[in-house]
Amino acid sequence: MKINDIADKQLVKTGAVTGLLMVIIAAVTLEATALIQYLYSQKQLKQEASLRAESQLEATKNRILDITNQAESAVRNNTWIAQWCLNVPDSLYRVTQRIVEDNPSVVGSAIALVPDYYKDIHLLAPYTARRLGTYEPVTMSLAGEEYNYPEQEWFKKGLENEQGYWSEPYVDEGGGGILMTTFSLPIKDASGRTAAVLTADLSLDWLSDLVGNVKVYPNAYSMMISRSGQFLVCPVETLVMHQTIQEVTNSMEDTSMMNSLSRSMLNGETGNQTIRYKGATSYVYFSPVERTGWSMSIVIPENEIYGSIRRAGALVGFLQLLGLVMLVLIIRAVILNALKFREVDDKKKRMEGELHIANAIQMAMIPKASAGGTENEDADLSASITPAKEVGGDFYDYYFRDQKLFFCIGDVSGKGVPAALVMAVSRSLFRTISAHESSPKRLITAMNDFMSDTNENNMFVTLFCGILDLTNGRLRYCNAGHNPPIILTNSIQPLPVRPNLPLGVMHGMCYEEQEVILHYDDALFLYTDGLTEAENPEHELFGEERMKAVLHTRRDVQAQLEAMQQAVADFVGTAPKSDDLTMMFIHYMNKKPNSTTERSLTLNNDIQQIARLAEFTGSIAEDTHMDNALAMGINLALEEAITNVIMYAYPQGEGGQVQIDAVIREGSLDFIISDTGIPFDPTAAPEADTSLGVEDRPIGGLGIFLVRKIMDKVSYRRENGKNILSMTKFL
Amino acid sequence: MEVNITKQDKVTTAQLIGRLDTPASQEVAKTMEPLQENAGGTIILDCSQLEYISSSGLRIFLTLRKAAMAKGGNVIVRGMNEEIRTVFMMTGFLNLFQIED
Repeated sequence: MKINDIADKQLVKTGAVTGLLMVIIAAVTLEATALIQYLYSQKQLKQEASLRAESQLEATKNRILDITNQAESAVRNNTWIAQWCLNVPDSLYRVTQRIVEDNPSVVGSAIALVPDYYKDIHLLAPYTARRLGTYEPVTMSLAGEEYNYPEQEWFKKGLENEQGYWSEPYVDEGGGGILMTTFSLPIKDASGRTAAVLTADLSLDWLSDLVGNVKVYPNAYSMMISRSGQFLVCPVETLVMHQTIQEVTNSMEDTSMMNSLSRSMLNGETGNQTIRYKGATSYVYFSPVERTGWSMSIVIPENEIYGSIRRAGALVGFLQLLGLVMLVLIIRAVILNALKFREVDDKKKRMEGELHIANAIQMAMIPKASAGGTENEDADLSASITPAKEVGGDFYDYYFRDQKLFFCIGDVSGKGVPAALVMAVSRSLFRTISAHESSPKRLITAMNDFMSDTNENNMFVTLFCGILDLTNGRLRYCNAGHNPPIILTNSIQPLPVRPNLPLGVMHGMCYEEQEVILHYDDALFLYTDGLTEAENPEHELFGEERMKAVLHTRRDVQAQLEAMQQAVADFVGTAPKSDDLTMMFIHYMNKKPNSTTERSLTLNNDIQQIARLAEFTGSIAEDTHMDNALAMGINLALEEAITNVIMYAYPQGEGGQVQIDAVIREGSLDFIISDTGIPFDPTAAPEADTSLGVEDRPIGGLGIFLVRKIMDKVSYRRENGKNILSMTKFL
Repeated sequence: MEVNITKQDKVTTAQLIGRLDTPASQEVAKTMEPLQENAGGTIILDCSQLEYISSSGLRIFLTLRKAAMAKGGNVIVRGMNEEIRTVFMMTGFLNLFQIED
């Protein structure tokens, strides 16, 4: 045991280590594969995101340039007219009108003259604007005290930039609060002196739609900032024209990443940058819009790009984990299984020990008559089992029921554990089946069928079974391959038996039943081959002659048994016991067997008990040799009468009994059914009308009707607290 | 006691094998209860292997016959042995069922 335990532990250890290694290798392989796949997918997705963002930036920029170019062209195309008109200051108004009228995208245009260009006019700025809600442009001069145009950005920067200048976008208060920007181009006069700035105002009300609608991913967004960092388009609308990117950056906890981003954007660079904000990572792709100095950016949260593969990755990870758990379980099961094989040896020893105990228990269950007589005065009985060393398969059993002695003796083929098990099965089968069967033939047939069906190991049982009617000495018996018992009358003879096959050989075997009448003082001796085949040291067998010699002297059953045991012991001497030895003596002692036969049956108050009736009426039928139809009629009448008692005399289902006494005479059968239930007279029930049709026919009420029909006399009386129903059938 | 129920088109056959005594009839009544759903068609009670019947078994037959009458179906009792036929005769059941050999 201890060595095995250590070996087991070693095995567990080795198994566990191997298993663990397997799991680790599998896990590493799986995870590495998944990781490579994941990284590769991630790279692909990142590339795709860049591609999408960059192409969108490019497309949007081009559309913006289309519009700004229109405004620029409107200005450039009119420079020569403006130049020419410088000589006629009043005509300058006409130039601005023309620009606005000819260019739908331009909402306003001015020619702002350099201060004191004309000697007598300090400031002059003819201006035409298409005001909100009006179709006709309005022309006026911008030169006013409150609007000092030479100080405006568009004027100052416009003078300085030969190529033209786009102003910082601004909200035009007079124009209905729309976002605007102004393109300014310097105008030189014929002498080459810078005379004025020609402008075109461009409404930017399309910008937020154009930029805002750029959606490379559902949750990605776009922004536009001006060259000064002012937000022109932003998903957070409160920032638009109110804050600069620098201000927003400074409000953040970690400014480094945003600083670098805003610097790059303000410098008009093209590129991308990763920013982390509030725990979320986003990629920002940015690119400048030429001419205006704006910078557009597309912001894609990392989740948008990798969300799908992360979800897939999580699923894959979960499935892998599940797989690993299962692997661990399988390995565990394999190891445990291996351990089980180890345990088998131990278990076998333990099992034998346990079966020894089981065998002892079985022996204890077998009735012990040797302690002195039986409780029945019509039969005396003694029996013994002397087991050989191992557990064995001999058995006997007997009991009294309904004035009959049921008995059997058997020997299971083989020895040891299997034989002991089959013996236990055989004995309980005998008890179970004989509880409702009083024909040895049917009893043995049923036992055989059961044992053949379950006999996978080809274990056989030889069995002799007898039912002795103590009232008249009639012994009915059936043999299944067992040694013929010895019948002791005036002579000592083997009982004539048909050998038949042992139990468990073949399903459906028909066993033959035989019959003999025992008279007062006749006896029966049953034994197993452990008796006749007992060996002495010289390997001689005890044999039938020695057995008969012992039987020759008649003694009472107990003395007879002891004498036989002594004779065998003397014969065997020091030789080892080779087999179990089982013997049984039955002594019939009824001095006056009945000419009339009485039978009785006691049933508990339970519908299921009615199943026992068949056997009872079966034995009466055999006693009287009545035909099947009559036997069935008798059975039916008894069943109906008893069912009535169970249903009506014991309406609450309380415990109680129904007694059936039968007296068999020449020419008649008398039955008395008695019970201690509440008074109930079944004969008082109205006669059933058997002529009624299906619809009118009551479901019940046929029971007592059948009793009356079958029996020739039926009467009821209440006596000593009992219901007594007497019935007679003439034969 | 054994009951084998087979169904083919509108004909339901219940084969009764063994002894239909009072203890057995409780079980058999349960087994045969679903037959009432088919009572609109033809129900054949195959009694060729029925060894015995008591009044509790007759109840089951009659219950089925009533269901068939209500639904316009038919119940055929087939192959009764002599003993069971005698019981049918005594109780007037021969007139309630269509009997076939």
